[in-house]
Amino acid sequence: MYHVEVVPNTTTSHVTPGWTYVPDKGFDPAKAAIAPSLCRKRGIRDPARTDVSSRQTNAIVRHLAELDRENHRDVAISVPVRQLKDAAGRGTRTKTTSNVRRILQSQKTFRNYLDDEEAALAQAASSATASTVAQRLSLNKIAKSSSSRRSSTPAASPRPVPTAARSKKDLPLAASQKPSSTDNTPSNAQEDASQHSETGLINSQHDNDPLLKSYIPSAPSERIMRALLSEPPLTYNASRAGPPITGKSSRKFCCICGYWGKIRCRNCHQRTCGIECYKVHEDSRCGAFF
Amino acid sequence: MGTTKPRPSGRNSAAQAQALPNKTFIIDNGAYTMKAGYAPDLSPPDDEEIPLSACTAIPNAIAKTRGNRIYVGAQIGTNVTDWNEMLFRRPVEKGYTVNWEAQKEIWENSFFDEKTVRSKELRVAEPEDVTLIFTEAPNALPALQKNADEIIMEEWGFGGYLRCVGPSLNAWNEVQSLFGDPILQKPDSAVSPTECLLVVDSGYSHTIVTPVYKGQPLQRGIRRLDLGGKHLTNYLKELVSIRQYNMVDETYIMNEVKESVCFVSNDFPGDLEQTWKGNGKRGQPEPSNSVVVDYVLPDPNGGKKGFMRPHDPLLSSKKRKAAFSGASAEQLSEDVLVLGNERFAVPEILFTPSDIGMKTAGIPDLILQSLSVLPTGLHPAFLANVMVVGGNSLLPGFMERLETELRQVASAECVVRVRRPKDAIRSTWLGASRLATNKEELRRVAVTRQEYQEHGSTWVGRKFSGAL
Repeated sequence: MYHVEVVPNTTTSHVTPGWTYVPDKGFDPAKAAIAPSLCRKRGIRDPARTDVSSRQTNAIVRHLAELDRENHRDVAISVPVRQLKDAAGRGTRTKTTSNVRRILQSQKTFRNYLDDEEAALAQAASSATASTVAQRLSLNKIAKSSSSRRSSTPAASPRPVPTAARSKKDLPLAASQKPSSTDNTPSNAQEDASQHSETGLINSQHDNDPLLKSYIPSAPSERIMRALLSEPPLTYNASRAGPPITGKSSRKFCCICGYWGKIRCRNCHQRTCGIECYKVHEDSRCGAFF
Repeated sequence: MGTTKPRPSGRNSAAQAQALPNKTFIIDNGAYTMKAGYAPDLSPPDDEEIPLSACTAIPNAIAKTRGNRIYVGAQIGTNVTDWNEMLFRRPVEKGYTVNWEAQKEIWENSFFDEKTVRSKELRVAEPEDVTLIFTEAPNALPALQKNADEIIMEEWGFGGYLRCVGPSLNAWNEVQSLFGDPILQKPDSAVSPTECLLVVDSGYSHTIVTPVYKGQPLQRGIRRLDLGGKHLTNYLKELVSIRQYNMVDETYIMNEVKESVCFVSNDFPGDLEQTWKGNGKRGQPEPSNSVVVDYVLPDPNGGKKGFMRPHDPLLSSKKRKAAFSGASAEQLSEDVLVLGNERFAVPEILFTPSDIGMKTAGIPDLILQSLSVLPTGLHPAFLANVMVVGGNSLLPGFMERLETELRQVASAECVVRVRRPKDAIRSTWLGASRLATNKEELRRVAVTRQEYQEHGSTWVGRKFSGAL
């Protein structure tokens, strides 16, 4: 029997301790690395992941967790016991405070702290959704306004800070671009000519062709930089890397020897490079798993 | 005499309210090693070697050998001879200091305890008279930051304290000569951070891209790839265990193998073709500069270290012959790993995480993602000043590959320059030591012990996050 429940399309409404329904809002870097894609119509929505079933994704997740381990097996290495005499050696220091005791006795792992953090953030988000949205918008405005500036502001404005950090060799480049992006007045043209002769570039009639123009956008103003610097840090999950920009299809390798994986096992969908490796795979490792 | 007391009297403290202790101790608390030492008192000379000589890298771990002996911190580097089946406990997890029980033990052992401290340069006898600069990875959890502040100020009670984002300290280094720029700074003026620097920190637990503007991180541009040296070692371990010997318990040895044989390929398909096992059978002669190498595993009984040598395809038959002709047991007992495509397929995951099924961007794309949220006006300055620090940058070919790929994906108008400082591992420490010589700046950002006692850890946390 299926149980059907209407889930309202907000995060605020259904807060149950321990778990909650949340609407899927597209790509989430925090989950992309771990959550299996359960879409059954494979190959329609996302052609790049055609042969990744949820079981395979789980195997990848397990593999990544394996790579993240410190030791191959779980061990508890206790801190060597210090003699009382040693502890007394630090005489000038004050007694341990309750904070210190709490921190030292805590056996929480990073995972625990992260879960606490996520829970706290979810709580905060449900109480103050509106204010954060407003904040997000204002932040976007900063990036937008500066990117729209590059076309409206003539490059004749004083060249700001980052030029100082740039190398000498691209200075002539910048100089030659500066006049080309300003209005085509006679005085500018003169300046153009003098600068070209200085840098040894050849004058041509196409110098002011708008199609050939290349420009470096001007650096943002002091006010924008201050706003950027005063932003709070992103959360741990928000700072994770996003999906690859270049849409290259992922490469497949032979699971036995590491060469290109040209053949796919029909039982377990693992790749091998040829008949030789396939036989090894079939004899030993093919678990008909996926 | 009043200063050594835990609580100086009221009048005394009012006079000292604004002063930080003169000596500055810096701990760059990495997951694999912590880089620690006193900053020089005076403005640093141009030569980087002099301040760096005060900095020591100490393993940040408690290790247990197969004989159940336990070693802490610096002891791992010197006292251990048998590395087989070594187990580690690391207080820094995913780049963040989590377990202070273990961290305290390692710190006590390395800096505070008179009996175990290695050298005078690392001894912190009176924390009250020392300012501590403590680094953390960006985007740390506030709960962990609070823990660090509380235990540092309440357990050891440093006279001054600064917790800051590690990668941003690199901007204090002298980067003009690294990038070949004219040196703009006047020699007499105080040290100041460089204007724009994009720091790629590829360490043990993760790889982080941090855009740094005038010594401060641009928080919205910080991006993290959860792959680092640990993952490379574990991946190599796994591949070798599938293909050759079972090495799953030999993390330390495989790390040494990784450091000596792995490289970043600049022609991945070509190198993969070269290492194909079918090449030999087709009667093609093995090229002399082949990618395939042998690694002779260390022998703890003979007290020998592992080393790399060119691949010898006839090794097994030679061994058999030698056994008949009565060669020395030493020659027969050596164990050899043959490493072909593992050499470059392992570091490749930093650039193409999809090779192990991770649906995230590689390092060049990571840089673009970081820049995409910043104003376009800053892109040229950041792309022209990319600095790579951290142990993974020492892999041969890493810098060339990153520069090539970044050039391909970056906008054509921008100059792309990728550089690595002379000492990629201690670069962050060096930056901190230069910050420490700029006393006004340090006073502005750090807190004194008295301020901590007056305002508490919440206030200190707000101050370090720049809210005050």
